[in-house]
Amino acid sequence: MPNERADHLLEVNNLTIEFGSQRSANGPSKPVVAVDQVSFKISKGETLGVVGESGSGKSITALSLLGLVPAPGRVASGEILYNSPMLGEVDLLQLTENELRVLRGGEIAIIFQDPMTSLNPVFTCGEQLVEALQLHNPRMTSGDAKKRALELLSKVKLPRPEQILNTYPHALSGGQKQRVMIAMALSCNPSLLIADEPTTALDVTVQHCIIQLLQELREEIDTAILFISHDLGIIAEVADRVLVMYNGKIVEQGPVWDLFANPQHPYTKGLLACRPRLDVKLKVLPTVSDFMDADAGGEVIEIVGNKFRSVGEAITKNYQTSAEVKARYEKLIAQTPIVTVRDLHVHFPLGHNFFGRPKGIVKAVDGVTFDIYPGETLGLVGESGCGKSTLGRALLQLAHPTAGSIIFHDYDLCKVSTQQMRRFRRDIQIIFQDPYSSLNPRMTIGEAIVEPMRFHQIGHNERERRDMAMQLLETVNLSQVHFSRYPHEFSGGQRQRICIARTLALQPKFIVCDESVSALDVSVQAQVLNLLNRLKEKYQLTYVFISHDLSVVKFLADRILVMQNGQIIESGAAEDIYENPVHEYTRTLIRSIPKGSMEDIRRAMLRRKKLQPPRRKALVGG
Amino acid sequence: MVNFARLGQVPAILLMLAFIAKRLLYGLVVVFGVTVAVFFIFHVLPGNPEDSLGDRPNREEERERLRVAYHLDQPLPVQLALYLNDLSLLSVHDNTPANAQKYAYQPVFGWGSKVLVFKAPYLGRSFRTNVDVRQTIANDLLGTFCLAVSAMILATLLGVSWGLLAALNQGRFWDHTALTLSVVGISAPAFITAIFIQVLLGYYLGEWTRLPLQGSLFERDISGVLQVHPERLVLPALTLAIRPLAIVTQITRNSMIDVLAQDFIRTARAKGSPRRSIILRHALKNAINPVLTTITGWLASLMAGAFFVEYVFSYHGLGYDTIVAVRAQDFPFVMGATITVAVFFVAINLVVDVLYAWIDPRVQLQ
Repeated sequence: MPNERADHLLEVNNLTIEFGSQRSANGPSKPVVAVDQVSFKISKGETLGVVGESGSGKSITALSLLGLVPAPGRVASGEILYNSPMLGEVDLLQLTENELRVLRGGEIAIIFQDPMTSLNPVFTCGEQLVEALQLHNPRMTSGDAKKRALELLSKVKLPRPEQILNTYPHALSGGQKQRVMIAMALSCNPSLLIADEPTTALDVTVQHCIIQLLQELREEIDTAILFISHDLGIIAEVADRVLVMYNGKIVEQGPVWDLFANPQHPYTKGLLACRPRLDVKLKVLPTVSDFMDADAGGEVIEIVGNKFRSVGEAITKNYQTSAEVKARYEKLIAQTPIVTVRDLHVHFPLGHNFFGRPKGIVKAVDGVTFDIYPGETLGLVGESGCGKSTLGRALLQLAHPTAGSIIFHDYDLCKVSTQQMRRFRRDIQIIFQDPYSSLNPRMTIGEAIVEPMRFHQIGHNERERRDMAMQLLETVNLSQVHFSRYPHEFSGGQRQRICIARTLALQPKFIVCDESVSALDVSVQAQVLNLLNRLKEKYQLTYVFISHDLSVVKFLADRILVMQNGQIIESGAAEDIYENPVHEYTRTLIRSIPKGSMEDIRRAMLRRKKLQPPRRKALVGG
Repeated sequence: MVNFARLGQVPAILLMLAFIAKRLLYGLVVVFGVTVAVFFIFHVLPGNPEDSLGDRPNREEERERLRVAYHLDQPLPVQLALYLNDLSLLSVHDNTPANAQKYAYQPVFGWGSKVLVFKAPYLGRSFRTNVDVRQTIANDLLGTFCLAVSAMILATLLGVSWGLLAALNQGRFWDHTALTLSVVGISAPAFITAIFIQVLLGYYLGEWTRLPLQGSLFERDISGVLQVHPERLVLPALTLAIRPLAIVTQITRNSMIDVLAQDFIRTARAKGSPRRSIILRHALKNAINPVLTTITGWLASLMAGAFFVEYVFSYHGLGYDTIVAVRAQDFPFVMGATITVAVFFVAINLVVDVLYAWIDPRVQLQ
């Protein structure tokens, strides 16, 4: 390409970022390398997707472009050449704080992951927008800035922009806040927009709208975007080119089509294969470790002659035929239900007046009726606030139903005494979402598993309980040596497996999994999902699996309930719901999932090409 | 979105007024509770109010007069009822000229010899001095108020700045210094610091500081003219300020460190805001609420009487006179002082809650 250099907006060369220093027992301390010799380029108007799991260094790389690497991190070496319209070509790492400030929010803007915490709660949205505008246009009057803020708010399609201008962030929903963040980022027409997981904290339908908005705005203002995500599906929809980061290094980069069609690096292959799919039902999810291994130094080793040679093989070799799925489903629903829920209501009072009477009522669960059959996995899906978690808790009597019945073994759990309920708790267990806060940091793993056994008098003596706990640790793919360690020594995925072991210690019949894999990285998620499936067969468990992630539920569940506003709006066999959704809401939900299939990528590329100015056609290729 | 609709319907000022009315009602309950509790505590304590008469001549006659005047011959519940009747704004009394003069009431409705009246709360006369308790308290309050407010202004100005300084230099020299000093400030007992400061600044360095060892801010001279001695405020205010200063420093520091780690601070930096604006505008406004709680809480309790400090410096305020009254078993004064303090607590807390809502829009007045 002629004049290639002028077309580059940003060029990162051998960027290395280190974090503090890890204290070792003897010898000099060694810093942790978070980003290791990373080099990439972004052209004008291009969207570069960065994929990686937590700890891969993707967010830190983005923050380093703005000089915002949080302490104790620091850029150890490398250069970030940026072609600034105002300053000419500069190395961002050499700029003074004041020079950087001119670029921040002006030429390079950023949208952060969590819109709930990224806006200042004590200033109105308008004040925050006006501040951003006036910082970079010192001559702009307050009146002009307000007018421009109003324009921006309508540009990001917020309803009633005049009202939002004077609204404090807490009165807005997550999606609306993220729109305000986007408006703020776009306020000074940046040449480079960094989007750091901009939709991760949002519901799937809201995510869909935000992605669409970003796509439209990109065409309109002609800005380059560095789009960071852990979700390959989203990257497939938005990116022109993709970087894959693993352990601080870029392991693969290329145009989006090539990367998805023909991944080269084993980690990319693993990532692509381990996402639960919507089209076919797999028996076992492939995991990253089916494709690669890491040695002691963190170097990747490809596993040769493994189970699956390619992503395609990983799928074709282990899907369930529709006949198998159907036979299993029919066998399940022929049984007598293990739990019968009839017209269940859970209402919460909304504040109290002077006399202690509730001022209003939130109907979290508003009259639901369903059965749970032994040995099945019942998926419960819906967006945040639909009442799915409350329903899950109500099944365990952790939230108290206002009306209705939950029949388990001929007892109505809503009516039994506290003592009786304590007995039932052994049979009905729950695995929570956050493996970090659901383990007591001052209790060893062994103690955490043995404690409930002691309480429910499982095992004759301490020794027996200890042996059982050791066995459970092995069942969940941990080792006996972990017995006397503390939770902080484990990763998120390991902790969630510890939680599962603790749950299994009581030999329950029925387990509620409340968003149990949502906090985990996609490769770890695949391992935990496989584990849950394996345990179900081994111990003949029944699961209620609550999740906002429809593809995860699709993989795991036999039957699905879709919830909205506290009610079940659709239920049926998992396959039927995905193939022939009846309710409009279910259809919207399924349509909003970023699928990342080749067909979708092709469509996204074509759409972009049609909209784009001719200059950029070359970038997209084909 | 719910908030939108609801705020749209009810004007914020009405919500605020409703909130204040409700809190005043709660406050009334608090004051009533305090009155009853202190009333009984005072009566189970050993000793007898009549003993406060000491060895005056015709002691027995005086005693008898007191007994009748203060209903000390009646059973306790009756005494309490009578006291509450005296205290209440609306009360029932015998319609006699003596009562009309004593209570300065405004009759509302009379029947027989009784009359329902509207009046200012009546706290009785001191056993000790036979002066209307309200008058003594009013005199004391001004001195105590000046002392408490100047101590808190000192503590706030220094505490917030040191706290900011420490937070911005977290883990470095100024942070460690501020923390160490504040631990000393918190743990040093008031009677030690009072005497220490008095002796050091008032005595050994007295030549240089020219500050008096003791005395009240307001004093009537021989001709009855009220004199103000601002120099007498300095040492007691300094002593009183030490502990709140230490605590305000720590709270400001911790709160600022919390807020500076928040995502929206990173947003402000990514916007290109200058450092000064990030610290003073974005961070401090978010960090100030816990600081405000501390400051006002301390102000309220300093109003309640800086007993030791006022006593050591012979500073005539509520604390000083309360100590004297407790020793003399001067029931009307102790009750009056306690009720005044309770009213102050209620009022200051109400002001704080309204301030909260004004600073942080997420706080809902309920």
